[in-house]
Amino acid sequence: MIDPALIQSVIRILFAVVIVTAAYIISTRNLISLVSVYAVQSLTLVFMALALWSLEGVTVLLGIAVVTFVSKVLVIPYFIASIQERIRIRRDIEFHFLSPTTSLLLSMALILFIYIALANILEGTPARESLFFFGAVIGLSLMLMGMMVTFSRKRAITKVLGYLSMENGVLLFGMFVTELPFIIEFLIIIDLVILVILTTILTVGLDSTLEEYHQRLHRFHLVGDTEDGP
Amino acid sequence: MILAAFVLVAAAALAVITLGRTHRQMNSACIAEAAIFLALSGWLILSAQIPVTTLAIGNEFFFIDHLGIYEVLIATIIFLLAAVYARGYVENLIEARELSRGSLKFFYGAWAFLLLVIVLAFFSDNLALFWIFTELTTVISAMLVAILYARDNIDAAIKYIFIASVSMLFSFVGLIFLFEVSRSVVGTGTLNWTVLMQQAGSFPPEMMIAAFALIFIGFAAKSGIFPFHTWLPEAHVRAPSAVSAILSGVLLNVGIYGIIRVFAIVHRTTAVSTVSLLLLVFGLLTVFIAALSMLPQKKLKKLIAFSSIENMGILLIGLAVATPLALFWVLFHVMAHAFTKAGLFFSAGILHRQYHSTLSPDAVDDMRDVFALQPVAAWGIILGGLAITGMPLFPVFLSKFFLLVQLAGFFPVALVILLILLFIAAGAFGYFVIRTFTQVSPAGTLPEMIRYQTPAGMNIPVIVLLVIILILGTVITTGEVAFLDQVIAELMF
Repeated sequence: MIDPALIQSVIRILFAVVIVTAAYIISTRNLISLVSVYAVQSLTLVFMALALWSLEGVTVLLGIAVVTFVSKVLVIPYFIASIQERIRIRRDIEFHFLSPTTSLLLSMALILFIYIALANILEGTPARESLFFFGAVIGLSLMLMGMMVTFSRKRAITKVLGYLSMENGVLLFGMFVTELPFIIEFLIIIDLVILVILTTILTVGLDSTLEEYHQRLHRFHLVGDTEDGP
Repeated sequence: MILAAFVLVAAAALAVITLGRTHRQMNSACIAEAAIFLALSGWLILSAQIPVTTLAIGNEFFFIDHLGIYEVLIATIIFLLAAVYARGYVENLIEARELSRGSLKFFYGAWAFLLLVIVLAFFSDNLALFWIFTELTTVISAMLVAILYARDNIDAAIKYIFIASVSMLFSFVGLIFLFEVSRSVVGTGTLNWTVLMQQAGSFPPEMMIAAFALIFIGFAAKSGIFPFHTWLPEAHVRAPSAVSAILSGVLLNVGIYGIIRVFAIVHRTTAVSTVSLLLLVFGLLTVFIAALSMLPQKKLKKLIAFSSIENMGILLIGLAVATPLALFWVLFHVMAHAFTKAGLFFSAGILHRQYHSTLSPDAVDDMRDVFALQPVAAWGIILGGLAITGMPLFPVFLSKFFLLVQLAGFFPVALVILLILLFIAAGAFGYFVIRTFTQVSPAGTLPEMIRYQTPAGMNIPVIVLLVIILILGTVITTGEVAFLDQVIAELMF
């Protein structure tokens, strides 16, 4: 049996890894590495679930680890990467409202804010233990940082990555605050997969059929002209 | 068992669509699916077995109570009429080359699946399950918005997906809160709505406020509540009109339904006063934004979309009052709004087929000689407009009037504000209709416009909906009242 104190410190290190990956996702312009960082972030969650499992012995955590590994470390990153190959977008340099530096500063403020807010809400509940409380704070921060990515980037594919990292935050939060039934986690993965597939298809549609769309528009007007003509 | 019947019917419809070769076959499959769903829910109501909790699938996840079946009834009626409408409408989209024939299978497949997912959402007892089905409705309906393969449609769909899904994740965090609340109070955590309702009395108010606020974000985004409403006008305008009717008449109800369910839990705790205030503030803000956005509108579908936002705000205000009578009229308003709005979008669709204004997104709707060219659609807009602004003889009048009466006892200042805003919204609608529909080409230049031969399948749904709302607005049967009272009793108001 591994020493619980060791596991707890491992979990703390993993928290730091998660925050670093989130910061990277916020600030990077390189899309290829964005996907691999997302995979690393998910892998960190897998390790965290395993560490928690060895600490608490709840089998649901093991299930979560397996499902997360298969879907978020292997399938989804692979799918997004292959789509990126096809549409040849390497960089997403357009930021809507926030520059990377402001986003980073903002996310630091967010983490502090969530820490204070959660400390107030969870006051007196059993979840107010240090490690679990910390997990909840990191989870919610990751979620809000993901949301900043979703709303500050222009390309749909970066938005998807923001959304995925948000969902990682929710998973983290759920893992530390409470024990959600496994079926729920599983169904969310299905939802994620559908969402990813759909948005990437739409992105491909957006980029590859623009010519075709203009052609259609043109043709339509021609048809309209002959119909409306005297 | 009954749920299995729903799933099997949908599976059969999907199979027919996959194997189907012609547009007619696929469309008929969708019509048949909705009709059978309608018959099934009608049978459920008449056989008086509700609430059904003993299902083969296991009563832990699904149940059928009066509220659920009520929403399913509204949804299936609108889906049925929309499917009838879609035959002519989609055929014309193809002729106008706005939709490729290859996308048909995809379109009708998503359509049939969407109906099933919506029905399952309304029958979910487990809130997390409801959350997942709601999330799926977003994704599938976004496909239906994006189907027109124009850049604007894809943009609108992506915006819709991201705003709704991101907000829904907040809801999920709220559900985790709720789960933790029930775990810390009772010992074993649950998200089962019926169990939560029984336990709710002992839930701590602070945690419940936090949980409700988070859950509210997601469902508010689904139902177009300010400040999460920004996706709604675009998605409704860009979508094919048959889909707009579903988005407005059915999908907005899914969000409101979620809010009603969670509010029913909060209503049993001491947090209810704070949460009511929250609902009231967001309701008023929503109506405010919607009314002011309606005023300068020059596009018919956008006007109707903002009117949907306005009505969702009214529903929130009604919920905030939180008396049994107010809830009664909220439920009535859900139905009244859904039918009226579907009729309006169907009519707007006919007019858009006539005037071809969908492909020039920012152009003003230039409609001339409406009565000569499309009399049914014109009357659909006029009567529907009168109905939605709350004129007597129409059901929205009843619900708005009695909600206002209830609001007077709850918060008189809010009543005054709301009345002014409702006048602005009604004025905006009236101004648009009068200005647009009185445009007549000078004599002699008349044959400029070729009349779009509206298929009977597109006119009939408009007429049917007008008849339905006239009946709803003038006759209230004791059965209807007893049914809604049953819903209120089950929500323990």
